[in-house]
Amino acid sequence: MPDSASAPAGAPVAASSVTIKSFAFSPASITVKVGTTVTWTNQDQDAHTVTDKGGAFGSQALNTGASFKFTFTKPGTYNYLCTIHPFMTATVVVTQ
Amino acid sequence: MTDAQTNDPHGMTRRQLLRHTAWFGSAVVLTVVGGEVISQIGNSNAAAPVPAANDAPALRFVQISDSHIGFNGPANMMVEQTFAEAIDMINALPYRPAFVMHTGDLTHLSTPDQFDQVKQMMSELKTSEVHTVPGEHDGVDDKGAKYRQFFGKGTQGAGWYSWDMAGVHFISLVNTLGLESMGHLGTDQLEWLRKDVAHLSSDTSIVVFSHIPLFAMYAKWGWSTDDSVQALSYLKRFASVTCLNGHVHQLFTKTEGNVTFFSATTTAYPLPKPGDGPAPTPVTLPAGKLHSALGVREVNYVKGNERLALKDVRLT
Amino acid sequence: MKMKDLLLRLVLAACVAGTGWVHTDLYLNGYRSIHVIGPSFLLTGAGSFAVAVLLIFSNSPVLRLLAAGLAAGALFGFTLSRTVGFFGFTETGLNPAPQALLSLLFEVGALALVAVSFVPVMMKARTTSVVAR
Repeated sequence: MPDSASAPAGAPVAASSVTIKSFAFSPASITVKVGTTVTWTNQDQDAHTVTDKGGAFGSQALNTGASFKFTFTKPGTYNYLCTIHPFMTATVVVTQ
Repeated sequence: MTDAQTNDPHGMTRRQLLRHTAWFGSAVVLTVVGGEVISQIGNSNAAAPVPAANDAPALRFVQISDSHIGFNGPANMMVEQTFAEAIDMINALPYRPAFVMHTGDLTHLSTPDQFDQVKQMMSELKTSEVHTVPGEHDGVDDKGAKYRQFFGKGTQGAGWYSWDMAGVHFISLVNTLGLESMGHLGTDQLEWLRKDVAHLSSDTSIVVFSHIPLFAMYAKWGWSTDDSVQALSYLKRFASVTCLNGHVHQLFTKTEGNVTFFSATTTAYPLPKPGDGPAPTPVTLPAGKLHSALGVREVNYVKGNERLALKDVRLT
Repeated sequence: MKMKDLLLRLVLAACVAGTGWVHTDLYLNGYRSIHVIGPSFLLTGAGSFAVAVLLIFSNSPVLRLLAAGLAAGALFGFTLSRTVGFFGFTETGLNPAPQALLSLLFEVGALALVAVSFVPVMMKARTTSVVAR
């Protein structure tokens, strides 16, 4: 099922912070090097989570203004979503 | 009938026209009078606590939904208060509902405190049984483990169950707590459902509760269940199936074949109508308008009338 | 002749009253709360009783047409509710039983009787126009 169907379009952007706004992760696809810590910040009125489909990471529910950090130690492509609004999907590509 | 007193056999004398008008007028007057009388009887039936045997609803219950305890935002800065008001409204009804069903998103962030608070508040309800189904906000970080700790007694799998009351078969389905982009029931639950209704006679009234709509209300926002078609196929042979859901924070009704779907409103904050904007963001209404968007639902079941009678009541 | 007309009229009144009774009964038993259906059942019930009562005293064509209108309207609403839906309301088969079937019989009966009652008028109109030429 699902990953490719809802994969975000566009090439990954080199960035280590993601904004959650208007029910979307922005940028939808980022690329970082192994060892980078990525920070997600929720700017929406509603709560969201940052949860990896593969189970590598998962935040609790983030209220407005709350953030979640995760340090990527293994390379690979991580497809994640918000468990409350599972149509919100995004990707982190981790390189050596 | 009198003979025509005119040269034109197809026409009418003034006297005849007057006569016709008089009878028409009498019919109208009598209809209005009769209508008033019947309507008054209807009013007194609704208000009276225990009407005559055959006329009384065999079952009355209340649906409450989407309390989102723990939410704090411009759309509603006091969700606990509006939830309490809804509970008070239910307790003030002129009858004692057989049960109260909360169709999900009891909490906003699935924290133990929030679950505890909801459970405490609902224990104030003057009813014999309180039932729940979980919303996606009730399982944000643990696929519903905490929800089941507080509300899972007597349920199976992710939290589904069924029971019978007054000859009606009630089914509570869980179509949240997974990671699918829409509501999802899963094969285990579908198999359970198939067996659960297999032995029932086709004239049994069925009521299905779920958080997310079992019909396609707006798939783009996840307001749909991707495998509900199979579930509904198990219910196709029944004369009357009513599905009550929450999740969308607005009233909506749709009928498909023998199934009628009713979405309920919330006690927390309104959401936009399908497609009205880019996302289902909490809507902040002008001051003073919030209460009229919130409410609960009274449901009556009368034996012999397979269709449930619903009454959606706003928070005052 | 007159006896036959009177009998016809009374049976018609009974059919109309019958459909009025069924609609009123359902209205008072839950249908009241249904969007649009509730008020239209009330209207059909009250209107039917009104016309039925008046039909006892008069054979006015107005009353007979009203009876036909009520019956046809009820049948139309019934058909819609079993097919595309009537303001979102649908039911299946002959539910609720036995009210649905009874109502159908009363309405079809009423329409048939009204049609029959207008036959002499139509016959007379036809012969008159032939003669006038």
